[in-house]
Amino acid sequence: MSYPLGWSLTTRIGVRRERWPGGYDLKCEPLVSAGALVEPSQPVMRILQIERPRLLPDVPRLSLPASIGPTLPGAVSGTLRERGSTIAAGLRGRVIAITRRGSVVIEGLAAIVAGTVGVGRQVAGPLTIWQAPGSTEGQLYIPPGALLVVPGPLNLNMLRQALYSGIAGVVASSISSRDLEAFLRTDLIDLLNCANPELLLGTLPPLTILLTEGLGTVAMPVRTINLLNKYRGVTALLSGATSLSAQIYPELVIPLSEAEMRERVSTPEPEVELQRGALVRVCSGNYEGAVGKIDYLFSHQQLFPSGVRARAARIQLEDGSLLIVPLPVLERIG
Amino acid sequence: MYMQTESSPGEMQQNPASRYEPETARAILVADCGTVVTKVSLLGLVEGQYRLMARGEAPTTAAAPHKDITRGIIQAIEEIERITGHRLVARGRILSPQQMSGDGVDLFVTAISAGGPIRLVVLGAVTPQLAELSAQAVSGLYAETHVIPSPAFSSVHGSGQGPWTPDRVKLEWERQLQSMRELQPHAALIVGLADSPAGATPLQEACQLVINAMQDQKKLGVARERLLPVLYAGAPQYVEAVRRMLHGHADVTRVETLVSQKQLGPVSMAATALYERDVIQQVPGYEQVRAWSPAAPVGAAGSLSSLVRFLAQHYTMNVTAVDVGASTTSVMMGGERGEFIPMVNAGIGIGPNIGAILQQVGVQRVARWLPFTISEEELKQYVMNRMMHPQVVPTSLRDLQIAQAFAREAIILTVETGAHAQSGQFSADLILATVGVLAHAPKYGQAMLLLLDALQPRGVTSMVLDRTMLISQLGAVATVAPVAAVQVNENDAVMHRLGTCVVPFGDLPAGQHALKVDVEYSNGRKISVDVMSGSIEVIPLQINEQALLSLYPAPTVDVGLGPGERARAAEEIDGGLVGLVIDARGRPLALAQDDAERQARLLQWMQVIGA
Repeated sequence: MSYPLGWSLTTRIGVRRERWPGGYDLKCEPLVSAGALVEPSQPVMRILQIERPRLLPDVPRLSLPASIGPTLPGAVSGTLRERGSTIAAGLRGRVIAITRRGSVVIEGLAAIVAGTVGVGRQVAGPLTIWQAPGSTEGQLYIPPGALLVVPGPLNLNMLRQALYSGIAGVVASSISSRDLEAFLRTDLIDLLNCANPELLLGTLPPLTILLTEGLGTVAMPVRTINLLNKYRGVTALLSGATSLSAQIYPELVIPLSEAEMRERVSTPEPEVELQRGALVRVCSGNYEGAVGKIDYLFSHQQLFPSGVRARAARIQLEDGSLLIVPLPVLERIG
Repeated sequence: MYMQTESSPGEMQQNPASRYEPETARAILVADCGTVVTKVSLLGLVEGQYRLMARGEAPTTAAAPHKDITRGIIQAIEEIERITGHRLVARGRILSPQQMSGDGVDLFVTAISAGGPIRLVVLGAVTPQLAELSAQAVSGLYAETHVIPSPAFSSVHGSGQGPWTPDRVKLEWERQLQSMRELQPHAALIVGLADSPAGATPLQEACQLVINAMQDQKKLGVARERLLPVLYAGAPQYVEAVRRMLHGHADVTRVETLVSQKQLGPVSMAATALYERDVIQQVPGYEQVRAWSPAAPVGAAGSLSSLVRFLAQHYTMNVTAVDVGASTTSVMMGGERGEFIPMVNAGIGIGPNIGAILQQVGVQRVARWLPFTISEEELKQYVMNRMMHPQVVPTSLRDLQIAQAFAREAIILTVETGAHAQSGQFSADLILATVGVLAHAPKYGQAMLLLLDALQPRGVTSMVLDRTMLISQLGAVATVAPVAAVQVNENDAVMHRLGTCVVPFGDLPAGQHALKVDVEYSNGRKISVDVMSGSIEVIPLQINEQALLSLYPAPTVDVGLGPGERARAAEEIDGGLVGLVIDARGRPLALAQDDAERQARLLQWMQVIGA
């Protein structure tokens, strides 16, 4: 995939987002009016009504999978979405519109971490960095409704712990497809192909997930960890919605502070051409997930062990080693 | 028609169309914008004949962050510039007309399949026959049809799930609305006569569903640029009532009432017009592409079908064309007598739609083609990766073989789902493979084996590989410069002749003698080969070589003239890049159940055919 904004990390960009927790089962009323300035943790909507998911019979493949109602994993479903509960802005900026369904559109400046795969509603919460057991830093308190950043691969147990802990969302590098399917109890192919991700929300566990590197056991790049560390404690907006056909991808939108917003900084327009010096990620093959810089671009096609000939580049990986790969398996990330 | 292109330096600004006619264009650029890859070819005059001069490829740039299909086209053109040394674009525009220096082109044409298929919901009194006819009407397009029969119709015709209580009817309405939300159709087709016990109620309910869906979208704040198009092919006496009911919610177009194959043409034309307006013309950058060309971009499926029909009639033979793309798989059969069977499966391919193949056929059907053991998790991981990164090329032999296994199943699925009365009897004299995984197969034997496994032809057939991927482009060229299309097709498009295949069939006991093949080469040399059942033999017969063939099958084996009947070719057969292939594995092809045995046989066949 090419990231919708060009690169996987965007440190400063104007954004306009509709604040809507997702799904067709909610009715909300706005608590702010158009033109108002809002802060990330400020409530901007109140939930008026939640419709219980109906127990639908088995339906043809094109319809929703049957809801499993109260037996969804995680009895905490609904604690953050009870009638009368409020929804925080997640962004710092100005309200520019109130929509017919009661949602609020906010415009501001933010940093964005683009994900490859994700799932779940749009949620807002403070970014909290998870510390592995035994690390030198002790684990800080993880507040309910936090967006937990796990700077590495997830597994099924970790997701279940996150769900039962009342965490609103998880940002991690990757997870195996088997563990993710076991947690979501749905076919990932259906999830990725669904043209309207909002339709599935009612049947999924109430935990938003964003994977920066996708499926497998790929580590999170250092630059991504550094950016997330920089903004620890900041209330951010996380959306897990993914639809390949509708070109919807998960994202973590981190509002810039007032001081950062006042800075006169020109940010370069992300370039997506594969050029010498471009920071790239290998997205397939034996070195999937490896990050490096393009060192040399071959003018003639190169032969690979599969027998395929393709235009290729030599990249220098983060550990200094050199790798020759076809251009189509590279994505520019910076 | 004025073509907005950049005039070459030194040229006076004037209407390019007045300076030449398409038929006399000296240089033609043709682009095929697929879902994942954009291919551009430069055609030029060489000694009075149009020939392929160079070609380039680049990722399609319809999606974010580019959102402009012209960027990918220009990147592909820049590859051609590197090859030819001529300048063809300047400041993001195509240079025209062609100069004495060779810079620039006279004509630019496009075929587009980026933008996805048109999604059509079929509503009303949808009998199985009408559902089949609706699918046939759009079978030559990149289209998906989804049938949603009205509750009244279903209740009368019974679905075997008990009585239709009011609660059940209410649930059915909710379910249908959910389906509309999920499908987000481009258009609706209302069908059915009012001659069932339900009367006109199914037609009324079809309209009500459309209204409910549109109101639902408004409530959710979904903005529509135009009203939902509705093709009304139902009972003629209710057309005005339907128009009144849908007024303000949908844009109703009346087409001939769909009752039989005779009405397929009008429905197909109406659907094609919608596809061009609501899918192709919505591709970002379309306006710019349109301005570059004297003819509107054509759908790529239409381009391929034009060529197949032409080849069948021009060469007076039955032709089957196979195209396994990233999002769509097409198998088109054109007969020498004018019969045409298009099978376009817009939901499966080996790029973003590879997941649909796995869901429809399962792990075992894909894994059966692999000469190694693979876990379900590894296969699923492969599928996810291809869905998210459809542009990647396989760097390992393992990944290549997995991709080719999926391609086999894509073709098989397309033929299975598109099969009807005529396709079963169709015997191809020529099989033409184009685009994607077939055209990019590193070894010719891989492409040939893939086609033999997937299509399972019988008798004698020739195979050709369109490695330059020109076939789907030439249909677009033919709309403005038919002479160029014909000449390039004959000179360059079908150059990679794989060879002739002889496929005996019938009762073939395993390990027994199936047939003897005598080959008499043009230089007088003769060889005789005994072929055992369950095996593949490759007899050397190179490209530009010819030979006379005599077949002596075993008593229970048929080579096209009846069991045990000998056959001697009236004319010499042509060789190819693989050679003369005798495929005596049996039809239908049955693979061993035991994994080790099956993998050993697959390896053996791959080695013999050079895969």
